[in-house]
Amino acid sequence: MIKQLQFMAVIGFFLFCPRTWAEFVVEVTRGQEQAIPIAVVPFSSAEAAAASFDVAQLVSNDLARSGRFKPMDRKDIIDEPHIGANIAFDDWRRLNNDYIVVGQLLPQGEDRFGISFELYNVLNHQRLLGFQISSNRAGLRLASHQVADMVFEKIIGIRGAFSTHIAYISMVGAVPHRTYRLIVADADGENPHIVMQSNEPLMSPAWSPDGQSLAYVSFEDRLPSIYVQYLKTGERHQVSARAGVNQAPAWSPDGKKLALTLSTRDGNLDVYVLDLATQALTRITDDPGIDTEPQWSKDGRTLYFTSDRAGGPQIYSVGTSPGDRPRRLTFQGAYNARPRLSPDESTLAFVTQEDGAFRIATMDLKGHNDMQVLTKGRFDVSPSYAPNGAEIIYATRDRGRGVLAMVSSDGRVQERLVSSEGDVQEPAWSPF
Amino acid sequence: MMVSAREYSWPVVFSVALHGAIAVALLLVTRISFTPPRQIIQPLPINAVVISSQVLHAAQQAQEAQAAARAAESARAAAAVEAAKTLAAEQQRAAEEQSAAAQKAADAQRVEEAERAAAAQRVAEAQKAAEAQKAAEAQRAADAKRAAEQKARADREAELRRQLAEEEHVDAVEASPKRDQYVASLQNAIQHAWIRPPSARVGVDCMVEVTQVPGGAVTGARVTQCNGDAAVRQSIENAVYRASPLPDPPDPALFQRNFAFRFKPND
Repeated sequence: MIKQLQFMAVIGFFLFCPRTWAEFVVEVTRGQEQAIPIAVVPFSSAEAAAASFDVAQLVSNDLARSGRFKPMDRKDIIDEPHIGANIAFDDWRRLNNDYIVVGQLLPQGEDRFGISFELYNVLNHQRLLGFQISSNRAGLRLASHQVADMVFEKIIGIRGAFSTHIAYISMVGAVPHRTYRLIVADADGENPHIVMQSNEPLMSPAWSPDGQSLAYVSFEDRLPSIYVQYLKTGERHQVSARAGVNQAPAWSPDGKKLALTLSTRDGNLDVYVLDLATQALTRITDDPGIDTEPQWSKDGRTLYFTSDRAGGPQIYSVGTSPGDRPRRLTFQGAYNARPRLSPDESTLAFVTQEDGAFRIATMDLKGHNDMQVLTKGRFDVSPSYAPNGAEIIYATRDRGRGVLAMVSSDGRVQERLVSSEGDVQEPAWSPF
Repeated sequence: MMVSAREYSWPVVFSVALHGAIAVALLLVTRISFTPPRQIIQPLPINAVVISSQVLHAAQQAQEAQAAARAAESARAAAAVEAAKTLAAEQQRAAEEQSAAAQKAADAQRVEEAERAAAAQRVAEAQKAAEAQKAAEAQRAADAKRAAEQKARADREAELRRQLAEEEHVDAVEASPKRDQYVASLQNAIQHAWIRPPSARVGVDCMVEVTQVPGGAVTGARVTQCNGDAAVRQSIENAVYRASPLPDPPDPALFQRNFAFRFKPND
């Protein structure tokens, strides 16, 4: 997947007076886009049996999954330092490691553990991080993801999203006895919790901006209606059960409104904004075609949505103030749908049709609207950005089964999340 | 009266001799107590290892200032000696008048004159000594300066000769494709070692100063000017270390211990 890089030689060769630097200057205009080698040494744990938790393995897996790191294979790690003072840097360098993480998992009393760790640059012996995180046993997984987050941010320069969550819909069983579940899991797919379970379809989970609630579509009353559920208590409210279609909820950046799709009596779908406190409804689009799958800009003034008003589905944007006219954004290909805005709002991710297959594509909003297709599957749908913008999670099919997959936002790294059972679809990545 | 005067001739002589002895003793005492402290006039050690002409110039100025200060000090000391002598003489004169009231004015006059002459001589001696010291210091300073200048000149010449020779040779190899070959090989090595962080976008422009030893082992890498973030800086320094040992130049004359890399992503 690594691009073959062509190197443009731009050379300056200057001779200056002897005591100055820059005898000559060599310009490097390209770099290899490869994974950074790092060793995550198994953490010492005086009472390993008591903890029975492998911090280093989880950190190592997180870093590997990001595609930006190539952690050293556990079986190749011979020396096991646990503090910086014991690191034989030359040895680790000879094993081609740029960085090393060492640490300890220490019991701190009844159901209390301390994870202390250090990150070093092997090449110049510099200590880059040194932290201690305290946690109970149930929190060890989250604490370890936080270690990975810190390492990732220190080296890559962008915030790690390993300690965030994903929500998705899982379907188990054959159609007459099918069970639908709304599940929230760690970003690595582990630690799943059932938020809602129903014998009727559940759809379109959407995170509130504070990450505390989910909005989703439920057919539990045979007709689609939209619910908002508070995750900590499980408490939930029906917010929209209007006649016809109620679908595709999306939270406004202030968390006070939902953009959603409603239908008129003749079945025409349009985008509306619903004020959650007052239930006041504002119509955003008014077109005979289907307008759906709205998504907010960060300032809450623009909505991106899918519309087939020009024939096939294409992506448009529209201002939220009354009277704004929609503007078409996608022109390449006959099918572009389900827009999702990157956290820095520079890029739009969406589903495009290419050679009869559905694939995840991105489009630069600031430049020339160039489209880049990131995936190569047959049925890659429902993209959702990680809160740091580094990755996109999406749904795809693997041997007839719905699974989740991730692709780095530059398309370089792809991977699958293994689900234990059932069909999995409609992933939504939580905010930080 | 004449007879009596003659009868007292021996005591008078004795008295004069005694006064003379007292005067000499007093002079000796004043000389000891008014010798200026030696460490002040002692020239300070001058570092003859001069790094640059600026430093040299500053050292010279300091030396001159020191010499001037020392001269002023000597003059002050000489004046003090004179004043002390005058005081001593006055005291002595008073004592003389008291102890030998009968003594002749002529005798007293003689003693006084001798004393004054001695004092004048002392002053002259002190001045001469101070001048001699000053001259010696000036000489030393001049010597040091000359030595430093000579050394600097010699260094410059040697460096110039070396540079000239090097340039001639480099000019020669420059005519060949060897230099381009070397730069390309360095570029290639570092390019392959650079793992670009996502923040290393177009517009990032960073210089890294590299120190290598013969054989190409990198002993230092430091990002100087850089408009990138911490991750970019770190990735650049790491790239240089990762590329170690750097490729050998096709001609040893092309080897540079210190050089700079410019990281400027263009895509």
